[in-house]
Amino acid sequence: MTDVAPVPSGASAPEGTLPPRSPVRSAGEYVFAGAGLLVGIGTIAGAGAIRVPPGSASVLGPRAFPYAVGVLLVLAALAVLIGLLRGRRGLPDDGEDVDPDARTDWTTVAKLVVVFLSQLVLIDLAGWPVAVAVVFGGAAIALGAKGRWAALGIGLALGLVTQFVFGTWLGLSLPAGPALNWIPIFHG
Amino acid sequence: MDSLTALLEGFSTALQPQYLLTALFGVFIGTAVGVLPGIGPAMTVALLLPLTYTLDPTGALILFAGIYYGGMYGGSTTSILLNTPGESASIVTALEGNRMAKAGRGAAALATAAIGSFVAGTVATVLLTFLAPGIARLAVQLGPADYFALIVVAFLTVGALLGSSVPRGLVSLGLGLVLGLVGTEVLSGQQRYTFGIRSLADGIDVVLIAVGLFAVGETLYVASRLRHGSVRVIPVDRGWRTWLTRDDLRRSWKPWLRGTAIGFPIGTIPAGGADVATFLSYATERRLAKGEARAEFGRGAIEGVAGPESANNAAAAGVLVPLLTLGLPTTATAAIIISAFQSYGIRPGPLLFENQSGLVWALIASLYIGNVLLIVLNLPLVGMWVKVLRIPRPYLYGGILAFAGLGAYALHFNVIDTVTLLAVGLVGFLMRRYGYPVAPMVVGGILGPMAEEQLRKSMAISQGDVLYLVHSPFAIVAYGTLAVIVATGVWLKRRRARLESSPAPVPTGALPAVEAPTASAPDRGPHRRETGE
Repeated sequence: MTDVAPVPSGASAPEGTLPPRSPVRSAGEYVFAGAGLLVGIGTIAGAGAIRVPPGSASVLGPRAFPYAVGVLLVLAALAVLIGLLRGRRGLPDDGEDVDPDARTDWTTVAKLVVVFLSQLVLIDLAGWPVAVAVVFGGAAIALGAKGRWAALGIGLALGLVTQFVFGTWLGLSLPAGPALNWIPIFHG
Repeated sequence: MDSLTALLEGFSTALQPQYLLTALFGVFIGTAVGVLPGIGPAMTVALLLPLTYTLDPTGALILFAGIYYGGMYGGSTTSILLNTPGESASIVTALEGNRMAKAGRGAAALATAAIGSFVAGTVATVLLTFLAPGIARLAVQLGPADYFALIVVAFLTVGALLGSSVPRGLVSLGLGLVLGLVGTEVLSGQQRYTFGIRSLADGIDVVLIAVGLFAVGETLYVASRLRHGSVRVIPVDRGWRTWLTRDDLRRSWKPWLRGTAIGFPIGTIPAGGADVATFLSYATERRLAKGEARAEFGRGAIEGVAGPESANNAAAAGVLVPLLTLGLPTTATAAIIISAFQSYGIRPGPLLFENQSGLVWALIASLYIGNVLLIVLNLPLVGMWVKVLRIPRPYLYGGILAFAGLGAYALHFNVIDTVTLLAVGLVGFLMRRYGYPVAPMVVGGILGPMAEEQLRKSMAISQGDVLYLVHSPFAIVAYGTLAVIVATGVWLKRRRARLESSPAPVPTGALPAVEAPTASAPDRGPHRRETGE
């Protein structure tokens, strides 16, 4: 084994045959490729339901291209599935902040999704600055920020700054929210 | 010279104080965001898009040009100074640059990258200036069948060449095409795949696809496997004297020019953008290196930073050639830029140079200006970028999510876009996890509708004769080239994978002086070894 080996066990082909990891992970790969296949089939099925206006002059109607896209997706997903059966696993992305040895931390992912979904309610009800405070603070805390109040405070500051820069200065209509609406500079 | 007068006019626009400030701001913010780890050029452009929403088209495009070049440059700083591998476009720079930094020569690596980027960016912009009008004039004569051929070439090269596996790239492309189908179809006004949801009738904005895949998807993926503990940045001396010695300069100037010569043409053809160019340049420099330099490869050879970094920037300018003259995006970043153009009602393509010539030339002039601003800004500001690199990761990714939310909401001031963004982000997360490249999906999302339009136009002209698609010599050549590009591309990728899996075999004992002052930060070697076992 050499000192630095980005791809384990001398994989010379672009897709390395990875040593077996957890069965859950490889199941996930099949599920994702299978989902791709289903989307392709759905696209083909959905293409048949597109209404073709009677007497349209164009020779190629609105259905043809969707059929082609569906077929491409089905073929590509099948190729991935066949590759998986032959042991051609996908190589997960590298990144500066990605720990190659870490196990997948689903809890954090779920927390981030929930935090992000809070925007659906908060932007309209509580206003943009509060929504940013929750997204930023919530995400930072979920990712292990040291001080909870510091994270929320920075989030609120970021919310106010973006409200001012994008809302007031650049003129995007971000709702300032009931707490700030009375301040003229945030009112846009 | 026609283009020269037009360019001078462009300069007279771009040098107006407010546009100069815009360019300066764009370069600054582009670099600042591009330096942030985990943020590549595509994400930089996507996240900063809301800044341009309310500007006039000229100002917006000038801001964009600055962000684009700044983001490209920022990435190299990250990969040189951060103790972990960078994103793919600059990972080749990391091979030597990171080792130079560890050997205490980080300042030289940064300087050769900065000057190389400047040289390559300027030369490539000159080439763009003189090539683009000619290509646009030729492109005016292309018919819909020719365009369709070009788009198919772009599809397949992008799908097949990005990422590590051809079928996965094509799945990614296919998903993007499906998203591109959603909405009201232009020619006959039929709704497709909208499931009766009204906001889907307008289609899914490419900005949502890009921000979702790059910002939200990346954040979720990093969150799932976050590297905990303190951030290790390799320290850099501040003194100006250590920047580039005469010897460094002597060793750098040829790689700069060679990198430019490699990067620009590769950027102009749809061959996977800067990725392939940086790798090719690295391989060339390694092969051409002689004597001392040859022994240094694999442990911090300055040629290995100067060449790829120039190639990277030259390719970035090269990408603008098909973008401006044909309206064809060949990278994810280019796809986002096109969608920004479209939101101003500007349609990039051969007619752009005729109909909007003032705008185009102001844009090109601002590329020159941006390049100068970049080098003026970056050499003195390295200390600040180093601080940016140290941002605690929870704050960094919290901030990315907040700005992604802003980008989505600011599209139509409607939270339904936020839901779409999150859905695309989740798909992006799974794609990264299972080794699917995300860039083809972005390109597919924007090129899909264009492909359909051209295809249906050609079929209307030919009354349904499929052979019309290959009736013109241009289309035949395009399909022929496609086969060649894909074949060479796959071959190059194999070579690259081999190169990355076998780093330069360095005889121990050579260059002890370089090894000595390192050790400020532990190597990534042992870390990696654990994965292999």
